[in-house]
Amino acid sequence: MATTTIPIAETTARASRRRSMSREQTRAAFLFLLPSLLGFLAFMLFPLIASFLLGFTNWQLIAPPKFVAFDNYIRLFTADPTFYRILFNTLAYTVEYLVLNIIISLGLAVWISSVKRGQRWYRLIFFLPTFTPMIAVSVVWVLIFSPDGLLDYVLSGLPFHTPNLLLSPDLAMQAVVIVSLWAGVGYNMVLFNAALDLVPKTYLEAAKIDGATAWQRFWRIRLPLISPTIFFGTVMTAITALQVFDNIYTMTHGGPGVATATLGFQIYQYGFGNYLMGYASALCWVMFIMIMGLTGLQFWLQKKWVSYDV
Amino acid sequence: MNKLMGLAAGLMLGTTLAFSAAIADDNVTISWQMWTGSDADTAVWQHLADMVHQKYPNITVTLQTSSWNDYWTKLPVLAASNQLADIVSMQSLRTPNFYQIMEPLDAYVDKDKFDKTAFLPSIMDGMSAGGKLYGLPYDVGPWVIFYNKDKFDAAGIGQPANGWSMDDFNAAAKKLSGNGSYGFGATPDLFPQWVTASGASYIKADGSVDFTQPDVVKAAEGFAGLVGDKIAPAIPAGSDPGDFVQGRFASGNVAMYVDGPWSIITQKQTVKFKLGIAPLPVGPNGEAVTAGSGFGIAAASQHKDEAWKAIQVITSPEAETYLAENGRALPARVAQQGAWFDVAAKDVTGAKDSLTYAMGHSKPYPIGNNWNTVENLMTQYLPLALAGSEPAAKTMQTIQSLATQQ
Repeated sequence: MATTTIPIAETTARASRRRSMSREQTRAAFLFLLPSLLGFLAFMLFPLIASFLLGFTNWQLIAPPKFVAFDNYIRLFTADPTFYRILFNTLAYTVEYLVLNIIISLGLAVWISSVKRGQRWYRLIFFLPTFTPMIAVSVVWVLIFSPDGLLDYVLSGLPFHTPNLLLSPDLAMQAVVIVSLWAGVGYNMVLFNAALDLVPKTYLEAAKIDGATAWQRFWRIRLPLISPTIFFGTVMTAITALQVFDNIYTMTHGGPGVATATLGFQIYQYGFGNYLMGYASALCWVMFIMIMGLTGLQFWLQKKWVSYDV
Repeated sequence: MNKLMGLAAGLMLGTTLAFSAAIADDNVTISWQMWTGSDADTAVWQHLADMVHQKYPNITVTLQTSSWNDYWTKLPVLAASNQLADIVSMQSLRTPNFYQIMEPLDAYVDKDKFDKTAFLPSIMDGMSAGGKLYGLPYDVGPWVIFYNKDKFDAAGIGQPANGWSMDDFNAAAKKLSGNGSYGFGATPDLFPQWVTASGASYIKADGSVDFTQPDVVKAAEGFAGLVGDKIAPAIPAGSDPGDFVQGRFASGNVAMYVDGPWSIITQKQTVKFKLGIAPLPVGPNGEAVTAGSGFGIAAASQHKDEAWKAIQVITSPEAETYLAENGRALPARVAQQGAWFDVAAKDVTGAKDSLTYAMGHSKPYPIGNNWNTVENLMTQYLPLALAGSEPAAKTMQTIQSLATQQ
């Protein structure tokens, strides 16, 4: 870079110029970041703090809130008969949806990358549901799943009796998972497909020459090389799955009974259905901490399976 | 450059503010929050808003509508964030929950010597809380059975008699069921009416709910039995089971369902068959229930005097006649009720007879504390009993424990 013979005075002058320059740049950067910072403050940080404080009140919207200390949390963990079921529902849904989503989207991505013609069209077709509004998607699926609906009609041809998905407390969550998968697989598929295309062809050819089978090439070369993308997909999918709300709201409203009630839905139901804002805020924070913890766990686990050296 | 623009903008803003302040002395725009079920419905409310402007050219009423369910989600949120409209629409069932956000009207009534006696007394009670009046009612209505006259004729069933029993009803519904069709559409939100009609009560003396009383459990078993006996279709716990049944009714898949005189406007436009109305069937000591709605003034309104003028117009004899003729409301003003029978329900079999009977044989819809929670629990948990996933008694216990817990 610079030569070693620059006089000290000039160096300091240059350094201070650089400093003021960087100060100016900082200011410019700050101005450019301001809109999103303001958005973050107004729509993220403020509600976050507000809900934290509201969690210690009994606010019911039309009357002013009263401070109740830890009553909401005590009730949540010791008295609420549905809380642990809701927690279980949320985790069960997340695990099932996450595993199936990653397997299906990865499978589709690998299949599409091996297709010789019309790759782009397949990508588009499987990506279509991703930009279709979830509410509209759910409404159509409800028509398919509803008693005496299309699915019942198709399944009535089978020799054995099949219970209706939406009426059965044991199967209702599967209906939600099916719809979520249909709508959510496309995003990860495009992500994984793009990552697979970036794997250098030379590696695969070299492996082929060395006698590696297609199976070995996938497990030993392609999968490790796209593992950072899979990690990203896994984290994002897990977070959205833990927050699931819109298809449950439209399809089952948490029912039958408490069969499909998840944290996201129950927060809405307590807050806007039953007007218990304080209690809903407490539940919000349970969900917030849970998602943060699980995401942290995933980042810790990534050391074991994600490789960044390409 | 920047400063100049800022100055110009400031000046413009200043003049607009001054300008609007000058206008504000005469012209007032007030907002009105209302629920609506269809475009036809919205057009009717807009007509009422325009009537205010015609009578008082300096008052403009802007209508803000939402669907029935959304209305009750938005109302407390808007109240909490101080954005409530000047005119608030209120249903008698919900007055006990929301009267705090409304202005008592007694002082206005006294000042203008407003004639309260023109309205049906029971609905004036429904618009009151703690001895104070909070709204002027526009409609009143007992829940009744809407039926498909064509299917009744085909099955050889005549107009149900006034005061028909639950057994008569079951027999008729059974006759109308079969081959994938159903005699009746039973929705979870209808359950409280069903209990009251069958003669049981879920309200204790202290105003709290009790769904585990033997009579209520028996009614629940009967209600679930309708689905078990394939008289009514099983309905999943969705966001709006009422829509589900109304859709099946309109398509001819369900022959009867429970609704009220406010729905004639929508049903007459939807169904392709002849519509009939019968009173709710009742068990021993049972009675149909009735409710009604009206308009009040938000306690936080800046234009209470104008809002008072406006709600007088939209509940005036002319307005209620208009609502009646369009089939939107059976007027709360006794003198105007004839218009509903003569115009809106003219082609509907049994409408006049059934409604007149039902109004004489019904009581206000019994509601307990935190009724909103109870209604939500019904929608969420009753499908378990209706689909036969668990005994009705168990569902009643769950609803009871959650209703008292929250």
